[in-house]
Amino acid sequence: MKKIYILLFSLFFVNQMFSQKKYLAKDGYISFFSHSLVEDIKADNNQVLSIIDKETGEIAIQLLMRSFLFKKALMQQHFNESYVESHKYPKAKFNGLIVNFEDLNDKNSNTEIKGTLSVHGKEKEISIIAKVIINEDEINISGDFMVEVADFNIKIPAIVRNNIAKIIKVTFQIKHKPYSK
Amino acid sequence: MVGALNSKHLTYLKTKKFKILVGVLLLFGIGLFYIINLYNKPLKNIKKSSADINISAQQLLDDYQKDEILANKKYINNIIQISGEISNIKIDNGNSIIVLKDINGESSVMCHMLAEENLSILKLKKNSQIIVKGMCTGYLLDVILVRCILVNS
Repeated sequence: MKKIYILLFSLFFVNQMFSQKKYLAKDGYISFFSHSLVEDIKADNNQVLSIIDKETGEIAIQLLMRSFLFKKALMQQHFNESYVESHKYPKAKFNGLIVNFEDLNDKNSNTEIKGTLSVHGKEKEISIIAKVIINEDEINISGDFMVEVADFNIKIPAIVRNNIAKIIKVTFQIKHKPYSK
Repeated sequence: MVGALNSKHLTYLKTKKFKILVGVLLLFGIGLFYIINLYNKPLKNIKKSSADINISAQQLLDDYQKDEILANKKYINNIIQISGEISNIKIDNGNSIIVLKDINGESSVMCHMLAEENLSILKLKKNSQIIVKGMCTGYLLDVILVRCILVNS
């Protein structure tokens, strides 16, 4: 009788281990960089929320626009009030898929992540190359891609048109840990 | 002689025209100085600023869970000073996060601390009460405060 209980318990335990399907990050890093002849603008967001479903390779990312920190107060104010209008659109989201997730390993860690990016109330389908490193206790994604500011209805006034690039570089590095509810 | 001050120059210096010119240039200089300062102004110094709102972490969480849009209007972009019990301290890559837990549920207030607090944070213990001051940026799965410092009660 005892043996059955031990067997059941260990099966349950093993099942719990394998049902660690979701990986979560609450302090992911995303930054963007704009280079122009007049000045360079950079902002960092260290509070990115991201969930990966290990079974399907699906990924969902959310971040608060207000969490983008600039060095200069005026830049941060303009960014929030005029460009991305964070009072109207407080969050940016990405819903997508890590392509060929099952085939990823030590030697083969670069893959495509594609999906819908939603910023400033506008959605755009994007496809980017990312490095995805999968361990038992961590899934780490990183990479960078270019975004056209105009794609998201972000209007830059003529007076600062030379200060802000039309295409900006977005860099990300997000470490996910197993998450069970 | 060219380059030497003669009486014509000296008379001009005394004229109204010149004084007005100096006045305008001075104003222009001050204005320029002011604009450059404003442009280069760094983010608000949290340590030196007094908190706009003083509440408990639980109250902040309750407000957000009740009505996110209303809570955003009330808390975003304000310096919030919150008191609460430490449920977790995370240090990674030189960045520390203090998590204040929700008594009622899974949520929490995540306080992303300024690097200058790292040494003090090493001394903190789980389950102790602390007071943190920082900027609220909104709510994802938890209420998020950034640029936080520890407040000695």
